[in-house]
Amino acid sequence: MGNLFSVLNSASQSLQAFEKAIDVTQNNVTNANSPGYANQVPEFISQDFQSITGINSGGVKEETQDTRNTYADTAVQQQLSLQGMYQQLQTTLAPLQNVFDVSASSPIPSALNQLFQSFSQWSTQPNNTNYQSSVISAAQQVASAFQQTAVQLNQIQASTTSDIQSTVAQINQDAATIQGLNQQIQQSPEPDAGLSAQMESTLENLSSLANIQVLKASDGTTTVLLGGQTALVEGTQLNAIQAVNNIASNSGNPGAAPNISIENSSGTDITSQITSGGLAGLVNVRNNLLPSLIGGGQQVGGLNTLAQGLADSVNNVLEQASTTSTPPYQPGTALFTYNSAAPSGIAGTLAVASGITGAQLAAADTGPPVVANGAALTLAGLDSSNPGPVNGQGFTQYFSSLAATVGNAANSANTEATAQSGLVAQAQSLQQQVSGVSLDEEAIQLVQLQSSYDAASKVVTVIDDTLQSLMAMIPT
Amino acid sequence: MENATQYGDARECLQAARTGMRQVKRLLSQPSFEAADESAALLRDVEVQLGCVAAILRQNGSRPDGEIRAGVEELQGEVAVLAAFLAGADKMLSGWLDAVRTRRGGYTERGQAAPLMLVRKLSVEG
Repeated sequence: MGNLFSVLNSASQSLQAFEKAIDVTQNNVTNANSPGYANQVPEFISQDFQSITGINSGGVKEETQDTRNTYADTAVQQQLSLQGMYQQLQTTLAPLQNVFDVSASSPIPSALNQLFQSFSQWSTQPNNTNYQSSVISAAQQVASAFQQTAVQLNQIQASTTSDIQSTVAQINQDAATIQGLNQQIQQSPEPDAGLSAQMESTLENLSSLANIQVLKASDGTTTVLLGGQTALVEGTQLNAIQAVNNIASNSGNPGAAPNISIENSSGTDITSQITSGGLAGLVNVRNNLLPSLIGGGQQVGGLNTLAQGLADSVNNVLEQASTTSTPPYQPGTALFTYNSAAPSGIAGTLAVASGITGAQLAAADTGPPVVANGAALTLAGLDSSNPGPVNGQGFTQYFSSLAATVGNAANSANTEATAQSGLVAQAQSLQQQVSGVSLDEEAIQLVQLQSSYDAASKVVTVIDDTLQSLMAMIPT
Repeated sequence: MENATQYGDARECLQAARTGMRQVKRLLSQPSFEAADESAALLRDVEVQLGCVAAILRQNGSRPDGEIRAGVEELQGEVAVLAAFLAGADKMLSGWLDAVRTRRGGYTERGQAAPLMLVRKLSVEG
């Protein structure tokens, strides 16, 4: 009778296994469009003969196999991480591009142009009070344009800092979700496709925020390393990160905004480990590009260098000149003032000397020989002097070089973001194609695709060369 | 008059090149081996069309032409995106293949991924 029970038990187990296989298929159909879901396949394993309980070799044990391909998932995460960075750069650089607009209507180039025109006009009649007033009025416009630009840059700096804080909060939130999922996975007796899909979806979201490395433990839990080094989630343990002001970064540069550091849960600086994802884009703009423009950390900032260069050059000419072209000579008064105690705040404090009058503007170069409008002429030609007064460049040229830095960064971000969207689609498509296939088939697909792209890449290089030749052939 | 006609031909060639590039972009937005192969063929056609533009301009001497210049600039932007895409794809596929190679054959003595051997094994017995 023992044998009969064994046979019935075996048949019952077989039916249960087949029923579960149908459930797996049903799951695959239902979740076909669920984010992060990977198909599962039922695997039937014959059970060994058990001499004590009787015949059982006809029974089957059913195990569910995930068709998830670890490297395919990693490839998608890496591409999402790069896409996150370039898209973030696109977003953050767009308002900067508006500030550094080189068109004639842009505040700083327009005000500079007006100032040098007013110097030129004044040089034709140095004692003309209207022309003297025009110079002071144009100088006020220049100061106002610098102040306005400094305010805009400081606002962008503040909003980038705020974006870093909120991105770090999102990273910690995703990490907490992964921690919660790990707890559920540990308590789940069998692999759960739903939990696995939620995990994958969260990991993809996290990838777009920062570069992560994902490790799967034998108990099914997921460990997430930030930058491949800092454990953000280890099983059921969460190690939250934080964004802090790096006070030491601006020592010796009073008034400059400190850089932002990303610290792990022990307070160690891990900023250098964040190399892609939206957080990397934000930190790069906040700690590198913005300080190079408005100052921060140890940098004075290009806008402040320009403001100081302009003020010093103009003041120097006026203070060495005379308001009269005959003795006794009266030295002129400085036109611009700024707070020299805070080098990174010069653009924001640039102003026209309080109470200055047209009569205090010195147009005469006392020589010898004395030239009645010599100083005014020098001022009129200051922007086009060679070498220029700001690091060898003229003021307008220097502003253009700042604008070019921002423009190139934005252009590069746009190009990379567009290309990266294609690469994410590529990785996701490959993820689907290699799902459940053998390692050999996977390799064949990858090699085929790589050789096709290699062929395309060679033609693109030739096309690029031809386009460069064409540009050189067509005069502007 | 002849010069103007030939410049018109250059514009037509450029237009054909731009159309080809648009097709490449469309193809690569739906990644597959067939699409990648077709893109390479289309790119060779783009290269030929641009060669025609260069030949016509060389034959007729250079002169300012805003339309052609704008078209070439637009193509340069698209080529930059395509070059970034292909460079990124190569990096991704190389890394992926390395992972497959190590999973398939382990590592060489120098610590690199083992070469991929995709030859079918044949066993003959008896």
